[in-house]
Amino acid sequence: MTATIRRLAGAFGLIGALTVLSAVPASAVGETPGTCIFEKVLEAENDYGSVHALEDPANKDALAAFEQELDTCEEAPSLIIPEIDEIIWGGGAFLILFGFMWWKGFPAVQGAMQARSEKIAADLDAAESAKTQATTVLADHEAQLAGAKAEAAQIVEDARAQADLVAAEIAARANEEMAQMRARAAADIESARSQAVSDLRGVVADIAVGAAERVIKSNLDIDTQRALVDAYIDEVAASNA
Amino acid sequence: MNLLALEFPPVNHLFDWPSIWFEGTFYAINKTVLIYLGSMLVTMILFGLAGRQRESLVPVGVQHVAESGVNFIEESVVMQTIGPDGKKFMPFLTTMFFFILFSNITEVIPFIQFPANSRMAIPVTLALLVWVIYNFVGVRSQGLLGYLKNSLFPPGVPWPLYLIVTPIELVSTFLVRPFSLAIRLWANMVAGHLLLVTFAVLSAAMWGAGGIGFGGALFLSFPMLILMTGFEILVSVLQAFIFTILTAVYIGGSMHPEH
Repeated sequence: MTATIRRLAGAFGLIGALTVLSAVPASAVGETPGTCIFEKVLEAENDYGSVHALEDPANKDALAAFEQELDTCEEAPSLIIPEIDEIIWGGGAFLILFGFMWWKGFPAVQGAMQARSEKIAADLDAAESAKTQATTVLADHEAQLAGAKAEAAQIVEDARAQADLVAAEIAARANEEMAQMRARAAADIESARSQAVSDLRGVVADIAVGAAERVIKSNLDIDTQRALVDAYIDEVAASNA
Repeated sequence: MNLLALEFPPVNHLFDWPSIWFEGTFYAINKTVLIYLGSMLVTMILFGLAGRQRESLVPVGVQHVAESGVNFIEESVVMQTIGPDGKKFMPFLTTMFFFILFSNITEVIPFIQFPANSRMAIPVTLALLVWVIYNFVGVRSQGLLGYLKNSLFPPGVPWPLYLIVTPIELVSTFLVRPFSLAIRLWANMVAGHLLLVTFAVLSAAMWGAGGIGFGGALFLSFPMLILMTGFEILVSVLQAFIFTILTAVYIGGSMHPEH
């Protein structure tokens, strides 16, 4: 608001200063009636010695002529009738200007305007094209990114499935091997037990036979028989170790 | 002329400039003629310089003035009154606008302070030129009989009214138009110049009188002189626009009678 007032005051000040500077030519225009009358009076004084001499009845005609001359000082060409010299120069200036504008001035300015419009339109088209291209590239990149993500997810999924499969296979194989090992172990145990039973049966028979032989060969008290049996068993055990 | 104790020059003397060169001949040169020639040169320089600055994307300086003028004539004058057909008249109308504008604006230019169009020469010359052009355009567009028929017997008017309308149109179109065009411009510039001279003389006289007159000059007549100077800038532009747009209206009416 203050800036606007300052600008307005500045504009008025400038106009005022220019008006003051040029006040003289604005008000003093051409020959004034005063200077004309002054010149006529001077002429009359030169011719007749004094203006009052014209009041003499002998100078009646001269007085009438002097008054007519004074009247002409108040006259000026009509405002509304155009002057031929001004028509010629003004009309000529307009026609020359029109010729220049038709030939050079107008086409040059219009051409500059048109060139600018075309440049702006071309720049806008280029910007639009670049924007479209960028959008396409962005869409491509987004599509590629989405594809890559989907592919990665698929790979992870596949890997997970593969891992599950392998784990299941390993577990199955381990179970199978374990079952086989269990079966083998059971068979071994069974075989060992059968062998042990068989061996034990043979040993027990031998022991029983040996013990019986020794019992039969000698009539022994109970403690001696027991010591004989234990000694035989130790002997058999030592031989099987 | 003594008016309220002011020595006011006769009105005729405010507009009558003595010859500077070739006095007494038909090609005498006075201040008015110099303003016409100056307006021609300024317009030439303006458009000559503007046409050479093609590179800049944003127009500045004279280029901006010239392009704004051309754009203004195209958008606000030609397209509004004639239409796209009128673009061929753009150089003529642009020339007319700038020539009248620069001949008017000298009214407020310090040390010139005289509107060349307050003399009748250019207003009447341009008005007669416009008269010739719009009649020629009318005859060329519609044929002589068609142009006369459409001008004197406007379509859509009940035929009994032609008894009144036709004489009015005859006088209006073929006689009054050029003079109304010329007198509008001339009278506005005369009135503007008289206003400025009146306030200038009043300011000078009151300033010289001293005392209360000094205060009157300082607070009344001189501020009014400044205000009127600004107002006359507006009038100068407005009258150039009015003369140009009326020319376009007349040409448009001759080209398209249906409008």
